[in-house]
Amino acid sequence: MGDRFDRLMLLGLTLTLGFLALLLLQAPARHDGALRPALARALERDMALQARLALLGRIYGPVEELAAAGAPEQALLKLEELNRQYPGEAHGQILKGEILRRLGALPEAAASFARGVRLDGDYLEERSPLTRRTEIRQLVEEGLATVGERARAHPDNPTFSAQLRELYYLQSRLAGGCE
Amino acid sequence: MRVKRGTALTILVLLGLCAGGCDRASERPVYRLGLMNCNSEQETLARFRPLARYLSEKLGVELEPVPVDTQDFEEGFARGEYDFTHSNSLLYVILKENHDLRLVAAEKRGAFGSRTAGAIIARRGSGIETLADLKGKRMLFGPQLAPTGYLAQYDLMLAAGLDPERDLAYYAIPSGSFKHEKVIYGVYFGEYDVAAAPALDLELMTREGKVAADDFVVLAQSQIIPYCTFGAHARLDPKLVEKFRAALLALTPEETVEIDGERVGVLKSAWIEGFEQLIDSDYDPIRAMARRVNMPPYQQF
Repeated sequence: MGDRFDRLMLLGLTLTLGFLALLLLQAPARHDGALRPALARALERDMALQARLALLGRIYGPVEELAAAGAPEQALLKLEELNRQYPGEAHGQILKGEILRRLGALPEAAASFARGVRLDGDYLEERSPLTRRTEIRQLVEEGLATVGERARAHPDNPTFSAQLRELYYLQSRLAGGCE
Repeated sequence: MRVKRGTALTILVLLGLCAGGCDRASERPVYRLGLMNCNSEQETLARFRPLARYLSEKLGVELEPVPVDTQDFEEGFARGEYDFTHSNSLLYVILKENHDLRLVAAEKRGAFGSRTAGAIIARRGSGIETLADLKGKRMLFGPQLAPTGYLAQYDLMLAAGLDPERDLAYYAIPSGSFKHEKVIYGVYFGEYDVAAAPALDLELMTREGKVAADDFVVLAQSQIIPYCTFGAHARLDPKLVEKFRAALLALTPEETVEIDGERVGVLKSAWIEGFEQLIDSDYDPIRAMARRVNMPPYQQF
């Protein structure tokens, strides 16, 4: 009887230890499981950003090279060609804004920047590798001076008012305003 | 017989009433819109009939579109044949300087909106890389009164110390329609070494896949200047001109009119993206170019 009781006790103890061991083994695993999605999300985000940067570089590289080589007119034509394939791409709009500004088309440059920023706010983020914050700020300053002067001199001109509205939109986005 | 006479009388009365009602539409004042031909009269009318219909409806007038050859435009305007005009920006300056044409609005098309530029291009790989390489080359220009197909490029060459009359082997202007496209194709197919290409046509042909951006080298490009422009005769009531302008500026791509039983987009038919209200001083760069190149309205012999 005593042996039987001992055996039962031993079995109970073994089962308890086994259960505890199982709990101990599972506890760290559950902790990792909670971290993994966050890590994975961060990794996925970085990977997506790197992939996007690489892809944009590959697609728009020739445009940026032409612009850097002092051929903005040619760069604009190249961009026109690429826009047939990627018509809604924000990067194309931002590059177009930069080129148009160089070619003296400030209102059209502002409109292009505004389209780009509406599509992707990363271009206004200081820490984003895509940032064009400085360029946009400079354009807004220049635009508010030149277009603003025209609008003040011709208050009834709806074209100048519309151009000014685009500049104000960019200004508000620089200040952190939302859509 | 009496019944027949009564019926005939009724019909006559009804016809009279109908004619009176129909006449009311044709009683609207008629204005003539002179349209500078780009390629052909048929094409010009096809492009601008919907716009003329739209403006007629908005203004409560009959606006009659009249295609005019560029070279005949000033003479016709001086004879008072057109109340409103649609022309290139150089013709606007000529009519402004010589006949006090009033600026209404400029049309938008392409990357530069209501403005555009003139470029000098060569085939990539031809060895022509700068304006200095133009000496002794064969060049193709656009029509002589084209601001960005002739004037701007001629001015660019003069500024670079080149005299197109002496420094080129020879130059030509294509005949017939689609001159700007012919100019670009002239270089593309190697018939000419360099060409005076409007930036807008280069852009459109690239967009349409007719040429590739890499096919050409842009040797130089002018500053941007106003594109095609609507004007109004000084004799017109300013209120009517203001209504005309407002109707143009209000146009959106969604606006349609009925032409020959079909609803057509007004802007799309006219190859226009919209309108902007420029001011006359925006045309000063064209005036400066015309003076330097010795072209109308400042030409001196």
